[in-house]
Amino acid sequence: MTVIDLKNVTRKFGDLTAVRSVSLSMEKGICYALLGPNGAGKTTLSKMIGGVLPRHEGEMRVLGMDPWKMQSEVKAHLGVVMQSDALDDELNVLENLRIYGLFFWLKGRAFRERVAELLEFVSLTGREKMPTQALSGGMKRRLLIARALLSDPEILLLDEPTTGLDPQVRQVIWTTLRKLMEKGMTILLTTHYMEEASQLADRVGILDQGQLITEGSPTELIHRTLPSCVLEFDERESPGDAAVPDGSLVEHHGDRVYVFDDDETALRNWLGEHGISAPHLRQTSLEDVFLKLTGRGLHE
Amino acid sequence: MSNARPPTRPVRAPSVVKRVASVWVRHWRVYSDTFVANATPAVLEPVFFLLAVGLGVGRFVDTEFAGLDFASFMAPGVLAMTCVYTASFEATYGTWVRLRFQQTYEAMRATPLTVRDIFAGELLWCATKGALFGTIVGLVLLAFGKIVSPYALLIPVFGFVTAMAFGGLALTVTSLVKNMNHFQFYFTIGLTPLVFFSGLMFPVNTLPDALQGLAYALPMFHVIESFRLIISGTNHVTVSWAWACPIVLVVLASFFGWLGVHRMSGRMLK
Ligand SMILES: Nc1ncnc2c1ncn2[C@@H]1O[C@H](COP(=O)(O)OP(=O)(O)OP(=O)(O)O)[C@@H](O)[C@H]1O
Ligand SMILES: [Mg+2]
Repeated sequence: MTVIDLKNVTRKFGDLTAVRSVSLSMEKGICYALLGPNGAGKTTLSKMIGGVLPRHEGEMRVLGMDPWKMQSEVKAHLGVVMQSDALDDELNVLENLRIYGLFFWLKGRAFRERVAELLEFVSLTGREKMPTQALSGGMKRRLLIARALLSDPEILLLDEPTTGLDPQVRQVIWTTLRKLMEKGMTILLTTHYMEEASQLADRVGILDQGQLITEGSPTELIHRTLPSCVLEFDERESPGDAAVPDGSLVEHHGDRVYVFDDDETALRNWLGEHGISAPHLRQTSLEDVFLKLTGRGLHE
Repeated sequence: MSNARPPTRPVRAPSVVKRVASVWVRHWRVYSDTFVANATPAVLEPVFFLLAVGLGVGRFVDTEFAGLDFASFMAPGVLAMTCVYTASFEATYGTWVRLRFQQTYEAMRATPLTVRDIFAGELLWCATKGALFGTIVGLVLLAFGKIVSPYALLIPVFGFVTAMAFGGLALTVTSLVKNMNHFQFYFTIGLTPLVFFSGLMFPVNTLPDALQGLAYALPMFHVIESFRLIISGTNHVTVSWAWACPIVLVVLASFFGWLGVHRMSGRMLK
C-alpha cells in the first residue's frame, strides 16, 4: 500500500528552486532515508509532505490526501520531529507533551496514560517537571520523539533526529526507531549519517540541489553506482591516477584518494607493489556512493 | 497519479474551533503561571495615573470636561489605554518572541493546526488579555468611585473587542517588521500620538474643526468614547453620536482582526 506518493513536485523560494520536480513513493511500513548535502532541499521536501509548506508544482498524496489542501487531516496522522529542537521553552517536559497533544485535541485519562507510557518509552520518566532548557541535547531529542508519537501516527517524518548527539544516544534512538518499525511504522528519515541510513533504511533517496538523483535499497545503490571494494589512502601517497589497476575507478575527495574495484585481491596486490602507507581497504559503503554522486567540494 | 489510498479512515483532525481554542489554551497555561507578576504593573499603572491626576494635575485644572472633573473625565480613557496597550504588546513583542526565539509556532505547524488557526488563537488570546486587564482596571476605577453607569458591566466585552482591534493591527505590524526594534516606531510614532489626540485628556470637540475631523477618523477616539459611554454615562460623552462608537469598534475589530491573521499567515508561508 502506497502511503506517500509524489509526482514532479517543485518548490521555490524566490529565484531559488529548493525542490525540483521530485517524484517518489513510499510503501507502508518502510523506512525511507533521504540523504543530501546541506541545502539540498530535504527539509523543504519533508515540510511539503508534512503539510507545512505548499508546493508550487506537482502532485502529492499522503495517505491518499493532498497534504496541503487537507493539511489538518493529514497532519493528524503524522508524527513529526523537526530539525530544530522546537520545544516550548515556557513549559516543562510534561506540559510540553500535554499541550502538544491538545493541538490534536487529545486529552483525558487515556491520553495522560499514553503520555506516561511514552515518557517511559524514551526513558524520561521522572523528569516530568524539568524545564526544557535544562534538558541535554539527547533528552530533548528523545522528548521530541515522544511528542511525535503522541497522536499514534501512521507515518513519522524525522528531520535529522540524531544530529549533534553522542554515539550512545544515537544508538538509543536507533533502537527506539527499530522498535517502532517492528510495529509497522512508516518512517521518512532525513539524515547526514550514512551509517544511520544503512542501519535503518529499507530505501534510500539522494537529493542534490533539489533533485532526487538516485533511489534504491542501500545495497542496490552501492552495486549500481560503484565496484564493491575500495582502497582509501592519503593523496600524498598517490602514485598518480594512471598507475591504478586496469578497470579500477579513482575518486578524489578532499585530500583522500579512493580506488574502487570489484576484485579485492587485485587491490591488495596493487597495494603491495606501490608500498602505500596507512591504506584502508574496505567494502564500498553508502558514504562512497554519496560522495561519488553528489560530487566534490561544498555545495553552498 | 495512482489513487494511493481511499480516505476511508475516520476523520481525525479536530474542528477549527477546537484547533483555535487549543492555541488559546497554550497561551493561557503559559501565562497563568506568571499572572500576578504580569498583571501587577497593568493594575498599578492606572492607579498611579489616577492618583497623579486626581491629587496632582487635577487640582490645577478646575475646568469641567463634559461635565466631569479632570480625573473622572480621564478614567475611561485610562481603561481604554490599558486594553489597547495590553493587546499591542502581546501581538508585537509577544508574538515576535514566540516566532523568533521560542519557535512556538514551528512546533504548532507540525500538528493539525494551520497557520490561520495559530494566529486566530493568538488574536483571541490578545482579546482575552485585553478583556481581563480592562476588567481589573475597571475594578480599580470602581474603587476610586469613577464608575457611575451600570452599563460598566459591559467592560469585559468592550475590552475584548478593543483588544481584538488593536491586537489585529499589531499583528499586521508584526507581519511587516524585519527586526524587533521596529516595534519602537509603531509605539512612539503610531500609538502614542493616537492616544493623546483621541480625547483621552480633553474632549475632542474642543479641537479646531480640521483636527476634530482627524480625531474622529482615528480608531482610538471610538475606543475611548465607547468606554466613556458605558463608564460615565450618556450625559458625559463628547459627541452626540457616541452610541455609534461601539459599532465602529466592532467593525474595526473584525477588519483588523482579519487583516492581522491574514498577514501573519502570509508571512509564515513566504
Ligand atoms: N524559508 C526559506 N526562505 C528562503 N530560502 C529557503 C527557505 N527555506 C529553505 N530555503 C533554501 O532552500 C534550500 C533548501 O533548504 P532545505 O532546508 O530544504 O535544505 P536541507 O537539505 O534540509 O539542508 P540541511 O541539510 O542543511 O538541513 C536552501 O538553499 C535554503 O537556503
Ligand atoms: Mg534540513
